[in-house]
Amino acid sequence: MGYVDVSAVRHTLSDGRVLLDDVSFRIGEGARAALVGENGAGKTTLLRIISGDLAAEAGSIARTGGLGVMRQFIGSVRDDTTVQRMLVDLAPPAVREAWHAVEAAELAMMETDDEPTQMAYANALAHWGDVGGYDIEVTWDTVTVAALGVPYDRCKYRELNTLSGGEQKRLALECLLRGPDEVLLLDEPDNYLDVPGKRWLEERLLDTRKTVLFVSHDRELLARVADRVVTVEGGTAWVHGGGFVSYHAARTARHERLAELRRRWDEEHQRLIDLVRTLQQQAANSPDMANRYHAMQTRLAKFEAAGPPPERPPEQKVSMRLRGGRTGVRAVIVEQLELTGLMQPFDLEIFYGDRVGVLGANGAGKSHFLRLLAGQSVAHTGDWRLGARVVPGFFAQTHAHPEWQDRTPVDLLWHGEPGRPGVDRGRAMAALRRYGLAEAGEQPFRTMSGGQQARFQILLLELSGATLLLLDEPTDNLDVLSAEALEEALDAFDGTVLAVTHDRWFARSFDRFVVFGADGRVYESGEPVFDEARVQRAR
Amino acid sequence: MTLAVPPTVPDPSVRSAVCRLSQEFPELRPRSIVLVVRTCREELRGSPTDALPELVERLARQRLRVSLG
Repeated sequence: MGYVDVSAVRHTLSDGRVLLDDVSFRIGEGARAALVGENGAGKTTLLRIISGDLAAEAGSIARTGGLGVMRQFIGSVRDDTTVQRMLVDLAPPAVREAWHAVEAAELAMMETDDEPTQMAYANALAHWGDVGGYDIEVTWDTVTVAALGVPYDRCKYRELNTLSGGEQKRLALECLLRGPDEVLLLDEPDNYLDVPGKRWLEERLLDTRKTVLFVSHDRELLARVADRVVTVEGGTAWVHGGGFVSYHAARTARHERLAELRRRWDEEHQRLIDLVRTLQQQAANSPDMANRYHAMQTRLAKFEAAGPPPERPPEQKVSMRLRGGRTGVRAVIVEQLELTGLMQPFDLEIFYGDRVGVLGANGAGKSHFLRLLAGQSVAHTGDWRLGARVVPGFFAQTHAHPEWQDRTPVDLLWHGEPGRPGVDRGRAMAALRRYGLAEAGEQPFRTMSGGQQARFQILLLELSGATLLLLDEPTDNLDVLSAEALEEALDAFDGTVLAVTHDRWFARSFDRFVVFGADGRVYESGEPVFDEARVQRAR
Repeated sequence: MTLAVPPTVPDPSVRSAVCRLSQEFPELRPRSIVLVVRTCREELRGSPTDALPELVERLARQRLRVSLG
């Protein structure tokens, strides 16, 4: 089994800011460690340093057992990368190199079919066999059957952009968990997975004997899987040796301890300064005190040279003020509604103040239903209407706003849009500050992290004066703290909330659940239902 | 008489290549074709078994073409 040992790692950003300093921890054999921290704290950078993608400015990384890395972008691949290419990229380096050599030899043979080229091809194939390439192909076959339900030969040239985000993630996870690498770095492995997919992931991570370091914002997954928690905050990292359940208490205790140590250091510092001043005055009058004065000066210099203990990390302040307002008693009325080809007709009444979780299978029409209520064009039959004074505000999944990509948050706030008046720069910046977005105010939307984009969308809802919130996976990209701030804001919101979510922790804060079944049936449940099967589509 | 190439244990790659190349090159004596194919098989020793038939046949075809000018 493998381990990872991170020792005194330091990384400085291109603008000179120190992102990580003196980061040291060890993930021992067979451990399942969660890496948590606010959006932008440096989690992905740390993973890139451990995986060797990025060179640390100082410090060292030691590891054994072969390293398998699942990067965050898997799940959102939109280019022409094929299934085969992704599996090759996830393979150990020797296999990757051998595969590239075979591919180069094949291309050479298409151009020149002479004896040296043929021998080179034969050598490349022999090397492919030597590094275990044929065995890996058998594993890939198992992987594609498990993840996609089709053999490797039938899907290896299929482009990833024809797979859903969940299928892309599942494919990569199956590959890494069945592969030879003993240490796995997984950057948000649960993103894009539906709840049965997340449960599958939890079981596999609990079963595996590999050493796993994973980044996740899913509190349920963290609570079930992690046996230790590495926190990146305040420019460094620390390890909580227990699970996520006891993590909050441990973090609070650590912060209090750091604050106490700092307070004691400041007191001692002030005491030494006062002593030096007193002795300085006494030395001026009494030459006998000169030696004591110089000794005290030396002691103060040594104390200052040793430096203060680390500061308590600043708390991320996210303050969401979703106000809403009183509407008619019936907020949403749906009669015999059917989204074309997605479901059977259903009736639904949602009342002012309801908190409705919209759950169910992937591909069953949940997001389309929210878009319809938001006033967008969605093919349907049957009838639906909003109650008196109901103003819908729609939170889309973060990639659903191509028109925002090159605009900055300040620009988007300044100009407003239909239904949301623009605000002046001062008010815009104040609002961005409340959402922890002041530094991202002038950067294009597309360069913001997923969490920043999500928080910005919630800010737009706040400014729109919506009384009916339609939220499509709002916590998917939010760090734990921001997700908790959103829950508090929704709790205080005076209005009606419909949210599509696969976040089990978040779903517990709702009181009604509408379930979109895989069989096309839409029904209501008093409890969250997460085990609806995936909607089967022709492959 | 000493053979130029040690006899190769008959295997499917040799058999299938000899059979096809004999039809493809009727102007050559079968013995010459067998010799070339066996030489190629020996040189490609260590290649993956499943790939051998194709590799042997391609290489032997190339050499036979060259010998015919």
